[in-house]
Amino acid sequence: MWRPCGIFDETYRQDMAIVRTPLRWGVLTVSVGVLLAAPLFCSYYIVSVLNTLAITVIAVLGLQIVTGYCGQVSFGQAAFMAVGAYSSAILTEKLGLSFWIAMPVAGVITGMYGLLGGAPSMRIKGFYLAVATIAIHFVTMWLVQHLEITGKSVGLPVSPPQIGPFAFDSDERMFYIIIPVMLAMTYGARNIVRTRVGRAFVAVRDNDLAAQVMGINIYYYKLLAFFISCFYAGVAGSLWAHYHGVCHPEQFQLLRGLWYIGMLIVGGLGSIPGVFFGVILIRALDESVLMLSPYFAQWFPWLGTAPAAGLGLSAFGLVLALFLIKEPRGLAHRWEIMKASIRLYPFAY
Amino acid sequence: MRTRWIRWAVVVISAAFLSWGLFPGVSWAKEVAFLDLSDFTGPVAGLALPSSFGIEDYLKDVNAKGGIDGVKIKYIGVDTRYDVARALSAYKSYARDPSVVAMEIVSTPVGKMLQNLLRSAKFVCLVPGDGEFQAHIGNFWPWGPTYQDAFAATIDWVLADWKKKGQSGKPKIAVLSWDNAYGREMLRGGKEYAEKQGVEVLPSELFPPGSLNHDVYLTRLEKAGVNYIYVGGVDPTQTNVMRDASRLGLPKKIQFISDYWGPSALGISLHPEALEGMVVISYFLRGDEAQNHPLLKRLWTTYRNQPADKMNEGYGMGVGAAITLVGAIKDAIKRVGADKLTREEIYNSYQKVTGLSREGILGPCAYSPTSRRGSDVVKFYKVTGGKIVPITDWVKTPDAVSLHKW
Repeated sequence: MWRPCGIFDETYRQDMAIVRTPLRWGVLTVSVGVLLAAPLFCSYYIVSVLNTLAITVIAVLGLQIVTGYCGQVSFGQAAFMAVGAYSSAILTEKLGLSFWIAMPVAGVITGMYGLLGGAPSMRIKGFYLAVATIAIHFVTMWLVQHLEITGKSVGLPVSPPQIGPFAFDSDERMFYIIIPVMLAMTYGARNIVRTRVGRAFVAVRDNDLAAQVMGINIYYYKLLAFFISCFYAGVAGSLWAHYHGVCHPEQFQLLRGLWYIGMLIVGGLGSIPGVFFGVILIRALDESVLMLSPYFAQWFPWLGTAPAAGLGLSAFGLVLALFLIKEPRGLAHRWEIMKASIRLYPFAY
Repeated sequence: MRTRWIRWAVVVISAAFLSWGLFPGVSWAKEVAFLDLSDFTGPVAGLALPSSFGIEDYLKDVNAKGGIDGVKIKYIGVDTRYDVARALSAYKSYARDPSVVAMEIVSTPVGKMLQNLLRSAKFVCLVPGDGEFQAHIGNFWPWGPTYQDAFAATIDWVLADWKKKGQSGKPKIAVLSWDNAYGREMLRGGKEYAEKQGVEVLPSELFPPGSLNHDVYLTRLEKAGVNYIYVGGVDPTQTNVMRDASRLGLPKKIQFISDYWGPSALGISLHPEALEGMVVISYFLRGDEAQNHPLLKRLWTTYRNQPADKMNEGYGMGVGAAITLVGAIKDAIKRVGADKLTREEIYNSYQKVTGLSREGILGPCAYSPTSRRGSDVVKFYKVTGGKIVPITDWVKTPDAVSLHKW
């Protein structure tokens, strides 16, 4: 199904195409079709999992751009999501804007706010930058909890998106907003990373001094990476708020930001498909633990409910640890090996 | 190479199967389920875990005796780890399972999110103590008195104590608690009540859950001339606060009072010197009263296989909640029959169990069509000689919720 031997790019357009063969177009169309039809044959629970998964994918795509491509470690993605969620809530509930305007505007507001988050990257990098982004998380969440406009620690109610009288007030309806937005954001991210900007990000990541010598304005590109990353977080936050109908400070804990980094590592840094792999694997594991724990308690009554829950959690940690030992370059790397071996088939090398 | 592919395929397919919900909600004939979305791990585990044990064991005991008119109650416990996304996902996995007739959540933010989702349904959801749920009557049922009502009862106790000590002027009280919605909730109505009673409420000192040192907050309150400090949070927060206060020599000048999630007998036995003299308000039995309670003792020793002195009193709170659930199911069966047990019928029954006895573990049930309070009485205890001993009988909590502008 991947480009078999004998198919060559003859024009620049062909060379630049993301989807290269008719077969790939077919697979993509069918996959998107099946995905969009999911609410017709999937349970309410599965649809809700898909919605959460898609929102997480958007947030992690942003993180992939700043961390995976530009090499600036950020633990602040959850806080940036909070900025997007609250911005969208305030724009719709207090200023009366439509969700359709509020969502992108919330993304831009978060992007601007992200420039603050990215400012330390002009002076520090690596571990020190990571710690600075943790500080930004705490400052952001402190503000959210203490400002009148954000509803302090009580939070803000948010109404569902509407088109005329039609409200997207159920999981199934929100699915048709969240999934297309996720697809569009994925397409955007895929394109960003293969443009001049994307190549500059990679240059900054690989060796910032060398990049600077080559004429790349590293401060500009670092800040741009933070802006784009936070734009993604803002859109994800906006969707999250309107999907759940409420913004609350405890929805955006630091742990969430840490998990996003975990998803990137598991999926593979510097890879757009890696985002999907990481998010899906972690969420699938989490859901499995969530669903299996009550069964552990039922199958092994002597164990009790709480230890059974702990067992699930331990299994979760064990799988992750084993995964990182066996595949430290992430699932995306495994995916690349698989694609290469299919392309080369029947030859081994 | 091929074996490796097969191995990977097995992992991917298994993950896909699991995530596609091959394990749907449990549903048996003549069996209803109680969903406990609890935090067996995380910052409120100290409260949530013993309470969940209590619910689980009481329901096991009822089932062991044949259930309620043949109807058994299944306990489904899910560890939500104080994580909103997990709790929502867990809720949604059971949301449309009709056998789940009632549920409990321990996390305040999850409650706020579910408020939205449950708006149109009638579904009993037990929650810790937010007065907001009394102010806006609906699906959320605090386990006991609301935080603000308990704070108001404390104000009454403070006034009596102030008078007993022969002090003149207004006593000054301050809240020292977690910096979140819970930490502020008690003053939404509680402050209005205190001011009405002539007690001055100083600005609260709020700190992040999990803080290891409280010197700054305590020193600031001391400088403000506080006479009473109401300490919120789930233990070991209170123990840590008292440790710092003892080091600063504050308990000699200031009376510390703990919110009802304060130290258990087990916690006190670990740090008796720090907690000595602390007053604890509680709506469920504490100390020897709980550990020697016949029902609690029997359940604990039977299902936990441990001596009674190892029991955390939160266990009694869970048993109390389970007694109420069983009472409501009994009422629903009586009204509509075992085959027609639905969420709505259980909801209706929760409004009819007013006055139900919880065998003295909690006060009589105060749920009614106009009340979401699990009870309206509390007891005051004091840590004395390393033990938690009662200093009052059950006292009625004032209605502080209605004083707040919601």
